[in-house]
Amino acid sequence: MSLRQLLLRLSGYLGASGPPHRQWWCARSLDSISSVGSWRGRSSRTPAHWNQVVSEAEKIVGYPASFMSLRCLLSDELSNIAMQVRKLVGTQHPLLSTARGLVHDSRHNLQLRGLVVLLISKAAGPSTGNSPCQNYDMVSGIYSCQRSLAEITELIHTALLVHRGIVNLSELQSSDGPLKDMQFGNKIAILSGDFLLANACNGLALLQNTKVSELLASALMDLVQGVYRENSASAKALLQRQEDHCRFQDNQGYIEHSITDDIGVSTWKEQTFLSHCALLAKSCQAAMELAKHDAEVQDMAFQYGKHMAMSHKINSDLQPFIKDKASDSKTFNLNSAPVVLHQEFLGRDVWIKQIREAQEKGRLNYTKLRETIKAGKGVTSAIDLCRYHGNKALEALESFPPSEARSALENIVFAVTRFS
Amino acid sequence: MTAQRVWWEAGCGRAFPVPSFRLRVRAWGRGGATARRDFQTRAMATRWWCWRRGCSWRPAVRSPRPGHPGCAGLLGTRAASDTRAQMPYFNLVKTLTSVPSVHSISQFHQRTPAVCCCSQTQSGEKYADPFKLGWRDLKGLYEDIRKELCISTKELKDMSEYYFDGKGKAFRPIIVVLMARACNIHHNNSRDMQANQRSIALIAEMIHTASLVHDDVIDDASSRRGKHTVNKIWGEKKAVLAGDLILSAASIVLARIGNTAVTSILTQVIEDLVRGEFLQLGSKENENERFAHYLEKTFKKTASLIANSCKAVSVLSCPDPVVHEIAYQYGKNIGIAFQLIDDVLDFTSCSDQMGKPTSADLKLGLATGPVLFACQQFPEMNAMIMRRFSLPGDVDRARQYVLQSDGVQQTTYLAQQYCHEAVREIRKLRPSTERDALIQLSESVLTRDK
Repeated sequence: MSLRQLLLRLSGYLGASGPPHRQWWCARSLDSISSVGSWRGRSSRTPAHWNQVVSEAEKIVGYPASFMSLRCLLSDELSNIAMQVRKLVGTQHPLLSTARGLVHDSRHNLQLRGLVVLLISKAAGPSTGNSPCQNYDMVSGIYSCQRSLAEITELIHTALLVHRGIVNLSELQSSDGPLKDMQFGNKIAILSGDFLLANACNGLALLQNTKVSELLASALMDLVQGVYRENSASAKALLQRQEDHCRFQDNQGYIEHSITDDIGVSTWKEQTFLSHCALLAKSCQAAMELAKHDAEVQDMAFQYGKHMAMSHKINSDLQPFIKDKASDSKTFNLNSAPVVLHQEFLGRDVWIKQIREAQEKGRLNYTKLRETIKAGKGVTSAIDLCRYHGNKALEALESFPPSEARSALENIVFAVTRFS
Repeated sequence: MTAQRVWWEAGCGRAFPVPSFRLRVRAWGRGGATARRDFQTRAMATRWWCWRRGCSWRPAVRSPRPGHPGCAGLLGTRAASDTRAQMPYFNLVKTLTSVPSVHSISQFHQRTPAVCCCSQTQSGEKYADPFKLGWRDLKGLYEDIRKELCISTKELKDMSEYYFDGKGKAFRPIIVVLMARACNIHHNNSRDMQANQRSIALIAEMIHTASLVHDDVIDDASSRRGKHTVNKIWGEKKAVLAGDLILSAASIVLARIGNTAVTSILTQVIEDLVRGEFLQLGSKENENERFAHYLEKTFKKTASLIANSCKAVSVLSCPDPVVHEIAYQYGKNIGIAFQLIDDVLDFTSCSDQMGKPTSADLKLGLATGPVLFACQQFPEMNAMIMRRFSLPGDVDRARQYVLQSDGVQQTTYLAQQYCHEAVREIRKLRPSTERDALIQLSESVLTRDK
């Protein structure tokens, strides 16, 4: 059974009997999740083209990434989780929307990380040297251990996505519903995340390669630190907002947005590497290690993963600024690439002044702020940055022999660097 | 001299036969290693439980995975056929253990050292203080752990290091280094300990701490080791990430050891911890199943870490699977005993001593050993267990029932049995100061008051 099937099973409990979603909550939670780095949820990104790229890539790796088998999901714990999550229906715990988001993902983005790992494994091919990893049976040019690695990558990512959705009980508002529900939701979120992590650890142990274990463990460490920094940025903003209450009277709908975070581009890059790129980069490297490719090939795979993930992230950050229709009422993350670059050009003081000018009746008018940012150089330089990383990713690919899989990897880059 | 002591010394002096031991040795002699011994210890507890229920024996306990090492074993026909032979033995024990219930619990508790361990009756073994002996190899343990947590963000670093302040008991690392040395001496009389074996001690403490941080969020606990919990200071969101971070750091140290067998052994622990937590969420209606469920949860949440880290150091020490099994069994039995006593202390100790609030398990709706035993005497507790002590006054009433019953004594007795088993296992190793310290340690598990 695949991760997707698991989640579909969960959705049977969630979707069918779930209450209608409240609009404000939906906006808030989806935004908080997708803004902190999910691959999915950006329906706006050149949909036809993107879907085409992904589904073609899935054909290349033999079977869709979402059909990967997961031993762990055959266990009783799964039904246990499903039972427990069902109890959450009707509460407002973010775990529900995380689960919903994982299931109702029509963009095929959910398992893109796994897909990239499979593609790069295939692009690199078998090593010329002696016998590679233990499970050297190959399907569609990919070792079975590399397929396991792709699953593990998805497991780690999903675990952190779930752990991100923990709520601070002391900050709850009356609109969040009963405290007990939230406590229970936290409990299940922690356990489900731990369960996924434990399965990832187990999968790593089965690969019998301690170098791969170390790489993935350090990727997990990076990811946790990245998530932590994003969280603390928004918490700091909350604190600031409480202090400057008269200046930024805010509704909780903006809770996830950092109003006054002062980070430069270099800090932003560092943070984005940890939270978005490290896992993919290190997984790509580990896939090479499993096939016993040398250090140079490993480094190229790492570079591809890193730069591709970076340009993907910038692309999704750019979406609210390059699309004119329909998204006018939507908010955007003030820690996203265009905003950080905008602030970098203007200097902090002018930026704070612009935020103040965009205030209306105590609320931040995002439409106005967006126009201000679009008038500056932030958006264009973010596009340049996205293309820069895209080119770096393509450069890294040049060391791989031409193949279908390599073209698919290139197409992914083309898809995320195309703005028109 | 207490009744138990008379009984125990009589037993050791073979004034009368002790069937359970004889039978167990016979079964052992036929080989079949892990599964059988596992099932024997488990059978021991379950037999005790079932006899206490006053029912005739039936192999009622269903194991989720028969034969899986460390899981509740499926009680086979052998156990069933042994049962009749067990009865006089348990009858006797019953008569004798019921005596102290007329005394106060604290008195009983203080007497346990005299009762608990047959090792004292044997001469010619000198015991070092296990904690002092073990600590010689653990100097700088917490500094080393903090070095592994190389984190750029200060607050996250503070959070992750919060429990590595040197104020914990370091119970797990102590067992690990003592076991490492005992195995090394057993294997080739080596007086050295490998750096990798010491790393296992670090990993054990880190995995333990990571699980504490997550457990405290899950239980919404507010104090531990006499200070506020991470979630109370920094909030749940960050606490969970801190736990993940410690786990990832532990995985890095583990991977660096570079031994795939050791990696698998300790990965099992992480899985068991999560499974144990899931077991704790559910409960069983049937009393027998409930007790087996409790023991399985105890194994997964506490004993698995100790058992598997003991096994890991023995794997690094020597290639002999017999030694690995001894280390595993010692750790498993001592771990279960440790948790049983922990559950007893939740009733008998005051919160100042424990550094965490008492009756905590009841407040969380958990029925631990003392409650399950008390329920046999006071069936009216069944309803409370089923509703997880959720009605107002349930916690206090349950506590009173437990203190009136001999649930505390029975649980302590069961812990003693597990300690015996641990001592019996570790004795198979060649004598050494460290081995004897491990024997000694089993007593401090029983007599600890915090």
